[in-house]
Amino acid sequence: MPSLNPHLVVQNIVKSFPKTGPEKVLNNISFEVSKGKILGIIGKSGAGKSTLLRCLNGLEKPDTGKILFQDQDFTDLSSQKLREVRQKIGVVFQSFNLLSTRTVFENVSLPLELLRLSDTERQKKVENILNLVGLSSKLNAYPGQLSGGQRQRVAIARALVVDATLLLCDEFTSALDPHTTLEILRLLQDLNRRLGITIIFVTHDINVVKELAQDVCVLDQGEIVEQGSVESVFTNPNHAITQSLLSELLKNDLPDFLQQQLHLEGKENDDVVLKLIFGSQTSTKPLIANLIQEWKIPINIISGNLDHIGKATFGHLVVSLKHQGESTEKIIKYLTDHQVGVEKAGYIRW
Amino acid sequence: MNDLLFKALYETLLMVFGSTGIGILLGVPVGVILYNTSQQGLQPCKKVYGPLSFLVNGARSIPYIILTVLLIPFTRNIIGTSIGTGSAIVPLSIAATLLIARCVEDALRSVPKGLSEVGISFGATPFEIIRKILLPESMAPLIAGITTVIINLVGYSAMAGTVGGGGLGDLAIRYGYQRYDTVLVVLIVVILVILVQCIQMLGQRCTNHYRR
Repeated sequence: MPSLNPHLVVQNIVKSFPKTGPEKVLNNISFEVSKGKILGIIGKSGAGKSTLLRCLNGLEKPDTGKILFQDQDFTDLSSQKLREVRQKIGVVFQSFNLLSTRTVFENVSLPLELLRLSDTERQKKVENILNLVGLSSKLNAYPGQLSGGQRQRVAIARALVVDATLLLCDEFTSALDPHTTLEILRLLQDLNRRLGITIIFVTHDINVVKELAQDVCVLDQGEIVEQGSVESVFTNPNHAITQSLLSELLKNDLPDFLQQQLHLEGKENDDVVLKLIFGSQTSTKPLIANLIQEWKIPINIISGNLDHIGKATFGHLVVSLKHQGESTEKIIKYLTDHQVGVEKAGYIRW
Repeated sequence: MNDLLFKALYETLLMVFGSTGIGILLGVPVGVILYNTSQQGLQPCKKVYGPLSFLVNGARSIPYIILTVLLIPFTRNIIGTSIGTGSAIVPLSIAATLLIARCVEDALRSVPKGLSEVGISFGATPFEIIRKILLPESMAPLIAGITTVIINLVGYSAMAGTVGGGGLGDLAIRYGYQRYDTVLVVLIVVILVILVQCIQMLGQRCTNHYRR
């Protein structure tokens, strides 16, 4: 996805840890992020996500490949130059990594102390950014007195206080409960919109990608197996890993009670249970209504999970209808003709 | 009798806290170098860490009374004499430096690695990371460790009598044991117990202050 205004360009990164084994933790990774975009990097544990992020902020040095930040390759900078580049990149860690002996104010002011800013300048900047993340009332609290969500806000403020233009987030939601996660996601979206900050984050949670990212890279065993806009990748996943990650989003397992009563051989008077899968190709016609009206078939909707990514509908519905041999096949054909995926889950007697 | 006791207490306090002060002054930098050049440090360097660690451990494993005797020529060079309270402070300070150096190394190592990485990713130099992040964050275990060192030094100072250092321990041996003055021995033990209790309490308070 080449763009006119790349903020960070990653070219053919290879990284291995000779001490732990010969296999490559990152293999030929390339992508780029334009200014003001939000990129999500998703993969299962051990896919190399964290290593990739550590390469991006220079905590690890890739074996080969280039990382261009604002057109400057920082894989072979002197340590002094590297420190200067780092000061423009904010990092948010999974475990917050706040200093327990410093107050909220002092934690956020740390990066400014390293830049040797004057007291008054520091005061102004810290109060500004804490206001922005909604923590101006907690200036003098210690991290130990804050909730997980508040701590992550402090960490975000600390990362951005140096006027960072790029924010790197490593699994920043995995220590938070779902509600707090959502709050932090909103905050990041807000900061992205208001300050135009580019955000790259790493996660194993497909929900976070769906909520926050505009573009996505799917990482598996050190390689990017799929990348593109969230809309295109989610509605048309090509790789098995992407599909399995997406299935978490759909939670398309059948309800427990149904699972237990389901049998595989259809008898007279049984209902057939179908799982209908909707994707970007699916027709926008009212298919279920048509079945009921034109085919005079009563359809029982058991469970479902439909969602939108961009303008496309995707998700699944579990329905049951009278099992009538041939006509069941016709219905399945009608649905598949309209690009609905149909799986026969089994038969059930109500 | 009272005069003797007060003089001895003064000598003990002088030896213990004098050597603690010098020990902190010298031991903290040595401990920082130990941590920084170790495998988990910011600038691992086996060539520095190996010999230094060996030296610190080796010297620590020498029984204190023997260390005192071994250091007599060194002490004479520095103080001019090898006898007296001032001279007793020299081997005590060496012992304190070694003990505190290990304390500092352990305390720095107890800080989560993520915090150094915060410093690195903010573009801090190793020195800034140690001064602004690692040392403040390791204050609680550091003070707890130094408290233990001070209490050890109280014990060591009792052996200062061998080089004419005076102090409570010396008084207890010379007047209490050799002149069969049991009351004096008991009195000195009580004073030592109270002294150690006070040091422990103070150390605990400081530790709690930094533990958040």
